[in-house]
Amino acid sequence: MARIQFENVTKYYGNVLAVDKLNLEIRDKEFVVLLGPSGCGKTTTLNMIAGLEELSEGDIWFDDEIVNFMPPHKRDVAMVFQSYALYPHKSVYENIAFGLAMRKYPRDEIDQRVRDAAARLHIEHLLDRRPNQLSGGQRQRVALGRAMVRQPAVFLMDEPLSNLDAALRVSMRAEIKELHQTMQTTFVYVTHDQAEALTLADRIVVMKDGIVQQVGAPDEIYEQPRNMFVASFLGNPPINYLEGELVASNGRMAFRRGELTLALNGLASTRLKGDAGRKVVLGIRPEDVDDRNAPVDGGAIDGHVNFVMPIGSDQFLNMKLEGEELFFRVGKETRHRNGEEVTLAANLDRLHLFDQDTQKSLLWD
Amino acid sequence: MSTKTAGHRYRKRPRLPDLAHQLAIFVASVILLTYVLAPFAWLVSSSFQTEAEIVSVPPHWIPHEPTLENFDAIFFYGQEEVTYESRSTVDPASGGYIPSTAKDLLPAMWNSFKVAIAVVILNLLVGVPAAYAMAKIRFKGRNASVYTILTTRVIPDIALVVPFFLVIKNLGLLDSLWALILTYLAITVPFTVFILVGYFESLPDDLDKAARIDGCSRFQALIRVFIPLAVPSLVAVVLFTFLTSWNEFLLALMFTQTQAAQTLPIIVASFTSDFTISFSFINAAGVVAVIPPVIVALMFERYIVSGLTAGAVKG
Ligand SMILES: Nc1ncnc2c1ncn2[C@@H]1O[C@H](COP(=O)(O)OP(=O)(O)O)[C@@H](O)[C@H]1O
Ligand SMILES: [Mg+2]
Repeated sequence: MARIQFENVTKYYGNVLAVDKLNLEIRDKEFVVLLGPSGCGKTTTLNMIAGLEELSEGDIWFDDEIVNFMPPHKRDVAMVFQSYALYPHKSVYENIAFGLAMRKYPRDEIDQRVRDAAARLHIEHLLDRRPNQLSGGQRQRVALGRAMVRQPAVFLMDEPLSNLDAALRVSMRAEIKELHQTMQTTFVYVTHDQAEALTLADRIVVMKDGIVQQVGAPDEIYEQPRNMFVASFLGNPPINYLEGELVASNGRMAFRRGELTLALNGLASTRLKGDAGRKVVLGIRPEDVDDRNAPVDGGAIDGHVNFVMPIGSDQFLNMKLEGEELFFRVGKETRHRNGEEVTLAANLDRLHLFDQDTQKSLLWD
Repeated sequence: MSTKTAGHRYRKRPRLPDLAHQLAIFVASVILLTYVLAPFAWLVSSSFQTEAEIVSVPPHWIPHEPTLENFDAIFFYGQEEVTYESRSTVDPASGGYIPSTAKDLLPAMWNSFKVAIAVVILNLLVGVPAAYAMAKIRFKGRNASVYTILTTRVIPDIALVVPFFLVIKNLGLLDSLWALILTYLAITVPFTVFILVGYFESLPDDLDKAARIDGCSRFQALIRVFIPLAVPSLVAVVLFTFLTSWNEFLLALMFTQTQAAQTLPIIVASFTSDFTISFSFINAAGVVAVIPPVIVALMFERYIVSGLTAGAVKG
C-alpha cells in the first residue's frame, strides 16, 4: 500500500533550483512515468521519494505519514539505477539477497525469494557470477531482481533501460510492464524516452527545468498537449510548427499562413470565436495527414516534396511549405518522388493551436 | 615493392622486436636494479663481515669469512657490560667494537613495533569514516574540511616540532609511547584521508544509494559495501602509516629520552655517536630493522600495486 503525495516540494542544490514547487499525487499501484529532458529534475524527484535527498521545502506523504526526514532504509522502497549500481564484490546471488539479509529475513526465505526472482528473470544460471562477468542486459536483470525480491510498496526506476541496445530495450519494456501487473505495487519510472513513457505509463508527468508541464494519461498528453514543449517532446518525428494567424472564413475560424488555410473544427472554432487576427502557432503531427483521400474543404495542404524517406512500413515526406520545412508521414500506396508537388489532406480534428507568446495551448487547459 | 607484398605485410604476426632492442632493455633494467639494490646488498653482505673485512679494499661483496658475531651481539650480548676499557675484549675474535647501547636495540624495536601498530589501527579507525563522510555525504563545510586536512600536510614536520613539544609536555606525555603515537597520527591521518577520499570518490554514488535503499544505515553502507571495495587502498594506507612510524626520527628524537620510549631509528643512530663505531654492527642492526617492514610488505604484496593506482582513474 503506498500512495505518494508531493506538496509544494522544492529542491535546491546550493543555488541550483532542481525541482520547483512540485505538487503531485501518485496513487497506490499506479505506474507513473516522469518524463523530461536531461537535467529537468527527474532523478532528484525520485531520490526524494527514496529518501536519498532531503527536500528544501514542502512535504512528501506516504499514505497518511509525512516522510520528509525518514531515512531510506525505513521506507518500503526499492530502486533500480541507470548505472545498475550492483555491488562489484558480491556474487549475483548476494547482490539480490543483500536487501533481504539487511532486513534480517530468515535464510530459507531469502533463498526461496532469490531463486524465484532469478527464475522469473531467467538468470538462474548466473547466480554465482560477479557483476563484471555479466553483459549489460544481464546486469540490468540482476538490478531488477534485487529490487523485486524485496516486494516493496514503491518501486523506483531511474532510466533503467537507457544503457541497453535498442532491441533489448523494447523487449524489456514489455517485461517491466508485466512486472508491474504481477507485483501490484506503485511504480515510479524515470525516462527521457517519450516512446518508453507512452508504452509503460498509466500516467505521465512531463517535466522541464524542475517544473511540471502536464500530468495525464499517455493519450491525453499526446493528443491534448497543454503547451508547445509537451507537444514537441512527445512524438517522433516531432510535431510540425507553423506560425500564422487566425482568420474568420464562412462563419468558421481558420488558420492562415500565406496561401495555406486550414479550417478549425467545430469545437476549436467555437472556442476561438472572436480571436480573428490573433498571432498563433499551428501544430500538426506528421501522421495527421493523408495522401489517399481528397481533402475536405479547408483541409488541403499543398507543398513541394524535398525528399522522400521510406521507413519500411510508411514513408516520410520532407516538404517545403510556406517557407518552412515540415515532416509528414504517409502510407506506401502512393509512391512519392523527390521534387514533386503534392496535396495532402489534413486531419482537421487533430490540429493544435498555441499562443505565440506564452506557447500555451489555445485548445486545452 | 609490389602491391602483393604491401597487401600482405600485416597478414602474419610481426617478428619479435630485434635483438638489439631487447638487449637495450635488458641492460637498462640491470643498471636500474643495480642502482636500487646495490646499497641494500652491501648492507646485508657487510652485516656478515668482521670489522676487519668490511674495510678491505676492494670490498668483499661476498664475505670471505662470514660471521654471525654482529647478530649474536644484538640478540645475546645484552647482558654484558661494555665500557671503554672492555671494548675490544668483549669480542676478541673479530676485534669488533660493539657499541654500549647494543642491548637497547631489541627493546627499541619492540617500542617501534607497538607505536607502528597503534598508528596503523588508529589511522584506520579515524581515517576511514572521515574519508567516507567527505566523499559520500554532502554537508556544510565539506570542501573546507577536505582542504584544511590536506593543507596541514604542506607544513614541514620541523615547523611542528616546537608546538608538538609544548602540547606533549603539557599533557605530561614526554618520553612515553603516547607522545609518538599522537604526533605520528597528526602526520599520517591527513595522508590516509587524502588517499581514501580519492578512492571513495571514485566509487559511484549510486553504490552508496543502492546500499542505503537495500537497508543499510550510513555506517552499515561503509562497513558492508565501501570497506570491502577499498581493500587495496586500505593496504596502501597500512603500509604507508606503518613505514612512516617505523622510520620516523625527528619527533622521536625530541620526545623520548629513555629506553621506555626510544624507537629503533634513535638507537641505530646512537651507534654512530658511541665511543666506538662498528660499521658491521650498525649494518647488522640495519638488517634487523628492515625485517619487519619487509614482512609487512610481503604480506600485502599482491595488493600494493593496485592500491597505489586505485582511484587514479575515475570510473
Ligand atoms: N548533487 C548535485 N549537486 C548540484 N546540482 C545537482 C546535483 N544533482 C543534480 N543537480 C542539478 O539539478 C538539476 C536536476 O538534476 P537531475 O534531477 O539529475 O535531472 P534529470 O535526472 O532529470 O536529468 C540539474 O540542473 C542538475 O545539474
Ligand atoms: Mg537523471
